[in-house]
Amino acid sequence: MTETRPSTPTAPTRRATLRAAGGGALLLGLGVTGCRSAVSEAGSPAGEAGEAGKASTEPRRGGTLSVAVNADFTPSLLFAQSAQSLQQRLIYNTLTRYDDRLKPQPELATSWEYAKDGRSLTLALRTGVTFHDGRPFTADDVIFAVENLQSPLRAAQLRATAAVVTGFEKRGDHELVLKLAHPVNNLFDLFEFMIIADRNSVEDAVTGKRLNGTGPFRLTRWSPGSGLSLRRNETYWRPGRPYLDGVELRVVPQADALLSSLRTGQSQLSFSVPGKNLSVVAATPELAISQYSTGGGAVYLGVNTTVAPLDDKTVRQALAWAIDRERILKQVLGGYGLASAAPWPKSSPAFTEAGRTHYTHNPGKARELLRSAGHTRLDLPLLHVNLPGETAVAEAVQYDLRQIGVHVTLQPTDSAAAQKNLISQNMPGLWTMGHGFAQVQPSTLAVSAYPFNEAKNTSRFRSAAYTKVVREAWTGPAEGARANALREKITDTLLDEAFIIDLAIRGSVQVSARKLHGVTLNKFTYLNLDDAYLAG
Amino acid sequence: MRGYLLRRLPSALFVLLLASLLVFAVLRLVPGDPAAVLAGPDASAEAEAAIRASLGLDDPLPAQYARWIGGLLTGDLGPSYAIGGRTADLIGDGIGATVELTLGALLFVIVLGAAFGMVGATSRNRWLRGTVRILTTGALAVPPFVTGVLLVLLFAVLLGVLPPGGRVPLLTAPDLGVQYLLLPALCLALPSAAVLGRYLEDSIGRALSEDYVRTATAAGIAPRRLLWRHALPNALPPVVTLLGMQTGHLLGGAVLVEAIFAWPGLGQLAEQALVRRDYPVVQDLLLLLVTVFVLVQLVTDLVHAWLDPRIRWE
Amino acid sequence: MTTLAAAQKAPLDSRTGKPRRPRHPYRAALATARGRTGLGLVLLVVLAGLLAPLLAGHGPTDQSALALAGPGTPGHPLGTDDLGRDLLARLLHGIRADLGIIAVAVPLGAVLGCLLALAAACHPLADTVVQRAFDLVLAFPGLILALAVTAILGPGRVPVILVIALAEIPVFGRLLRTGILVQRGREYVTAARVGGTSGGRILTRHILPNAADPLVVQFAVSLTVAVFIEGAMSFLGVGVRPPEPTLGAVLSQSMPYLAQAPHFAAGPLVTVTALVLGLSLTAEALSREIRR
Repeated sequence: MTETRPSTPTAPTRRATLRAAGGGALLLGLGVTGCRSAVSEAGSPAGEAGEAGKASTEPRRGGTLSVAVNADFTPSLLFAQSAQSLQQRLIYNTLTRYDDRLKPQPELATSWEYAKDGRSLTLALRTGVTFHDGRPFTADDVIFAVENLQSPLRAAQLRATAAVVTGFEKRGDHELVLKLAHPVNNLFDLFEFMIIADRNSVEDAVTGKRLNGTGPFRLTRWSPGSGLSLRRNETYWRPGRPYLDGVELRVVPQADALLSSLRTGQSQLSFSVPGKNLSVVAATPELAISQYSTGGGAVYLGVNTTVAPLDDKTVRQALAWAIDRERILKQVLGGYGLASAAPWPKSSPAFTEAGRTHYTHNPGKARELLRSAGHTRLDLPLLHVNLPGETAVAEAVQYDLRQIGVHVTLQPTDSAAAQKNLISQNMPGLWTMGHGFAQVQPSTLAVSAYPFNEAKNTSRFRSAAYTKVVREAWTGPAEGARANALREKITDTLLDEAFIIDLAIRGSVQVSARKLHGVTLNKFTYLNLDDAYLAG
Repeated sequence: MRGYLLRRLPSALFVLLLASLLVFAVLRLVPGDPAAVLAGPDASAEAEAAIRASLGLDDPLPAQYARWIGGLLTGDLGPSYAIGGRTADLIGDGIGATVELTLGALLFVIVLGAAFGMVGATSRNRWLRGTVRILTTGALAVPPFVTGVLLVLLFAVLLGVLPPGGRVPLLTAPDLGVQYLLLPALCLALPSAAVLGRYLEDSIGRALSEDYVRTATAAGIAPRRLLWRHALPNALPPVVTLLGMQTGHLLGGAVLVEAIFAWPGLGQLAEQALVRRDYPVVQDLLLLLVTVFVLVQLVTDLVHAWLDPRIRWE
Repeated sequence: MTTLAAAQKAPLDSRTGKPRRPRHPYRAALATARGRTGLGLVLLVVLAGLLAPLLAGHGPTDQSALALAGPGTPGHPLGTDDLGRDLLARLLHGIRADLGIIAVAVPLGAVLGCLLALAAACHPLADTVVQRAFDLVLAFPGLILALAVTAILGPGRVPVILVIALAEIPVFGRLLRTGILVQRGREYVTAARVGGTSGGRILTRHILPNAADPLVVQFAVSLTVAVFIEGAMSFLGVGVRPPEPTLGAVLSQSMPYLAQAPHFAAGPLVTVTALVLGLSLTAEALSREIRR
């Protein structure tokens, strides 16, 4: 057993002895010499983990970063929001990226200008950018990217916004005018979301055979079930970047194993550590926890408004008062995130403290509302996905509702069937699930997230007032007093109608080795490692 | 013998045909389809419908079935729907991982089984024998999800000497790969090791009480020499048969052990494909498993028929 | 055959020197140390399950703010789980639920399997059909079968029972079929047949009683398999409907907390081990005594 880390001159610890014994047994059994340990820091590529605290903040070239993910890359969902989207900004670029205050910053688009009537946008595109196969990036690639997302086949959640672009006017290779059917205020959500992929190999891309982009890393290999291997793009358009030689996305589906791969330095970065396991991370000196204010999606209780007595708004509001959101946050999400009655994370322009605390845990009030609607006991089914975390949410909701006389029967369902029910508006009276899209322009939530869609949603909720305010917010300005008023109106409608009862915003939590610096995520959890480096 | 084989062959093919129909039909009875999975959680019904059409899921069922079987017969398994990549590659990778796990387990079976058997049959220490007895009883009885949790708790959580799950392929990094392989292989091997141990204990014990052995002992030949030279060689041939049967068990048990240790083999692939309704992968995989089973069954029946003529219906 | 064999081997009583009255091998088996230990363990677990409502101080689904409390917490001798439920109550009621499931599922599978084997014994064509049906069921890995059955039927007790029964049918069916075939070839059956005894009578009077012993042993083994299947299904998320506890469900819920709260997993680990160990010791004792 060779260990590269400097050993102390004292006698070996019991643990080291055991490890050596284990190694010895391996040597005997399989004749392997000079082996690394799969559970010691020695396995990490750039050496010692503990010294990072001293923070030599000078960026350093080289090293391979290993990222632990709990789900594999799904090539067929390359252009949609999928469970695992870290690789998007590694292999590809987007047109723009949001800063912390939702102000777009240049990426492949260097500048932009709206026409006065808001019906067209002129983009200046970066020159000197090439795809991994050497082909230069031009306006045609942007046209393809938008048209690609307009196809329902791609299942892109921002398709409604992409569909607003009805015409293109090319002015040379690096200037493009997008013609819009009507003004929209979430076009930059689309630019944050839309990766620019090589238009000639898109069919190879959605089957995972070949991913050709302009991003800082090239795909060397995708092994389904195990993960992605990426190496540095030597001709990346940002000079001197990236610092890292390579990135590995390693699939570790089990929370335990994922945690252990981080603690032992086999991986240096993960966004998939469940909140309830973070206390173990906090106790590991080599690891740092940082939270993103964007949140990692929200947990909600959905209500089918066509099932009696849930067609009565008062009953739905009673349910909203009955649930102890703080307890769900603490016990199920490990305390990472935000208990909230509204869908918005703290970074959203629509976030208000009043909205967040509109409903709190108040069983007395809930019972009273229920009584005023003429009920003392209700029996309702509740569908949830049969994964451990989702089941715990459903169990907590069930218990809280029982306290106000609403007796819930749980219907654990696998995710494919649950998905089918969601899309085909076939949910029972209640269901618990998660939604995204509250982290960008608030209008995107109501236009692009199916549970909130004004025209057609799983709750089968329709209201002329909701449709009107959503349309106005979408086509109105992105900033200013009017925008704020419209957002407030959307929040008020959601809270008052309670067809989607938000419970908690999940924390978007990054766990990383202390020696790792310069990691950022975009609003759609695309990992950006342009400036990332492993300190020596 | 040939006549028996000829009679059994059509019915084996019939089982395969039936299994293919069953797999195909059951998969389509299960609510939810690959299009819904691919459309994702915030998708619209239109997106789902477009995807369904593109996958050919709107075609009549007989046409879909014919397409599947036709692909199989021409050796083209086609692309996977939901996981991505080619079905043949996915299954190939899975076979690699599962075979690795099974072989690792087989090694444990042989080593542990031999140890259990020898100690049980020859040790004079009552306590040692008793301990082995309890160990084998436990190994036989306790389900793998319990031994799996115990192994993880002991070696990964408390001692921290081995990883709790995942896989590094043995061929790419043998030193790391072995450490990932150790716990799942042990967990998978325990019941079969106990079976082998029990068997060896019995047969060595019997061999040691044979007359010629007693004579030899009386003549002053060292007991150890007797064990290695006489008792063990006599007990070995049936062990090979036993190991063959246990290998089948190991392959079957791999499904759960893979789930416990996040080992990306065929069992994990099957579960993942079923959860995502990846029709081609589930269909091909299950049919492959059924084929293997039918072949094993056929061989076993042939051997039995050969050994015991009563089994044959005359 | 067994009674004969037992009589022949009936040992002399050490005190009186007279032949001991031949004891039924099952009773003899349960009187051995192995049999006693096994039965004792099983009874202990069964008793805990039966008395669950009396022994548990809390409801198994009552939640509280006290999450992941350690063992020895006042009012929660085994501690609490992630949602603040009493682990002792969940364990005891989990045993109860498991027992309820296996007590229905295993006999169901055994009876159906035996009926099919009997049907198969009547006619070569039926035999072929039944054999191929067994092949088909055995060909699918049990857990894949479990996933498919629950995906169609939805979750709950019934699918778990069905999956267990389905897995047991071919096991019992094949065992009885082999038994019948072996007995049929024996001289006494031929003699009875020549003597003019009817087929049905030969079956019920001669063949079945002699083919029954392996079935009894298998029954005990199948009970352990049932515990195993229930647990495995819970692990795959297709077990009984939450929040009802079962041994497998509590164990699988404890998995994410293995590092922080190992006591969460301890109860079901110990109980499952005791239960299956008890059952297999009993089975072992029976099979040894029968083989004698």
